[in-house]
Amino acid sequence: MKIAVDAMGGDNAPEEIVKGIELARDAYPDMEFQLYGPKERIQALVTNEERIEIVHAASVIAMEDEPVRAVRSKKDSSIVLAATAVKEGRADAFFSAGNTGAVLAAGLFIIGRIKGIDRPGLTTTLPVVTGDATGSFTMLDVGANADYKLTNLEQFAVLGNFYGQTVMGIEKPKVGLLNNGTEADKGDKVHRAAFEQLSSMENINFIGNVESRELLNGAADVVVTDGFTGNATLKAIEGTALSMLSLIRSKIMASTKAKMGYVLSRNAFHEVGQVMDYSKHGGAVLLGLKGAVVKTHGSAKAETVRNTMGQIHQIVASGLIAKTVAYFEDAKATTTDAEK
Amino acid sequence: MTKQEIFDKIGSIIEDRFEVEHDKVTNDLNFRTDLDADSIDFVEFIMELEDTFGAEISDDDAEKLNTIGQVVDYVYDHQETAE
Repeated sequence: MKIAVDAMGGDNAPEEIVKGIELARDAYPDMEFQLYGPKERIQALVTNEERIEIVHAASVIAMEDEPVRAVRSKKDSSIVLAATAVKEGRADAFFSAGNTGAVLAAGLFIIGRIKGIDRPGLTTTLPVVTGDATGSFTMLDVGANADYKLTNLEQFAVLGNFYGQTVMGIEKPKVGLLNNGTEADKGDKVHRAAFEQLSSMENINFIGNVESRELLNGAADVVVTDGFTGNATLKAIEGTALSMLSLIRSKIMASTKAKMGYVLSRNAFHEVGQVMDYSKHGGAVLLGLKGAVVKTHGSAKAETVRNTMGQIHQIVASGLIAKTVAYFEDAKATTTDAEK
Repeated sequence: MTKQEIFDKIGSIIEDRFEVEHDKVTNDLNFRTDLDADSIDFVEFIMELEDTFGAEISDDDAEKLNTIGQVVDYVYDHQETAE
């Protein structure tokens, strides 16, 4: 499988991106990489060119560039060239740690949507932290679209269900609708209609509404939400975790007794850190496109890049995209037949 | 390419992309008011036109295109400039 990599995206690019790709190359013998960026600069960083092709990209889309305009005007940028490789079938997946809006725009406008999908959903995986659980759950849309319709939520449920089955390896993922209460009549008009709609879909294991407070307790394997709510929820989870860590740290440092207690419970703290380490969960996937598009944190270091390649390996090897295309083609054929 | 040929190509893109019936595709059809399309749909449509006709349509020009007739004229004029 071939992966088109935006070598210039992110705070630590290109050094950490290249380092991470070399780690992934060593870990996955069936992966080949195309690194898009200024050729001489990238070449100087690569220590071994086995299964690594460097493709010259003269420009870079900066973090502050307006995404759609940049994707349409910077045709020689690393993001646009890498996405074009997927569009033209020269690569199976597009990876970047760069400007999120530009990655989404390149995915949407260059690679394009699967026929039958109105809007792609940005999909992320988060840890389940209850008890001894070491699992995770998947949530979409976490911010690709600010506006939404009922049909988008339905499609996110189908996309998330496929992701749960093929990438997370769960036979019948529990699909929940993020809402402000578990009862069927909770939420705005669209969410109430979505509850009805998802309840009637036989191909998904819909467990009803889930509240944001239960997400990290493993309430559902796949959490369906609109992009506005999903993005706000994701940031609240990340922000709360960081604030709690900072509060605990300040209280430990405030007294000698607490410091002594920390020494004794250091291993437990380390384990908490391991569970919450987002770098292990790879990147966010833009589901619903004709190729795999994965965006990782802008601050990603080599280890995160390597882990994200593991996730991409799973996505490509599982045939997720082809299965999704086939599903929506069948759905369209069934609708057309029913209309005749 | 004649204006009719350009119209036919654009018409089939519109029918396919926006699920519009063939007889509704006329020069007066307005993308912004007659179709259930938002700004994302419109950028996708413009980029498909660029791929189909091999011409680049700047954002400033794209903003002025509202009807099929205007797009046909635009593509026709820019094709002549290119030749």
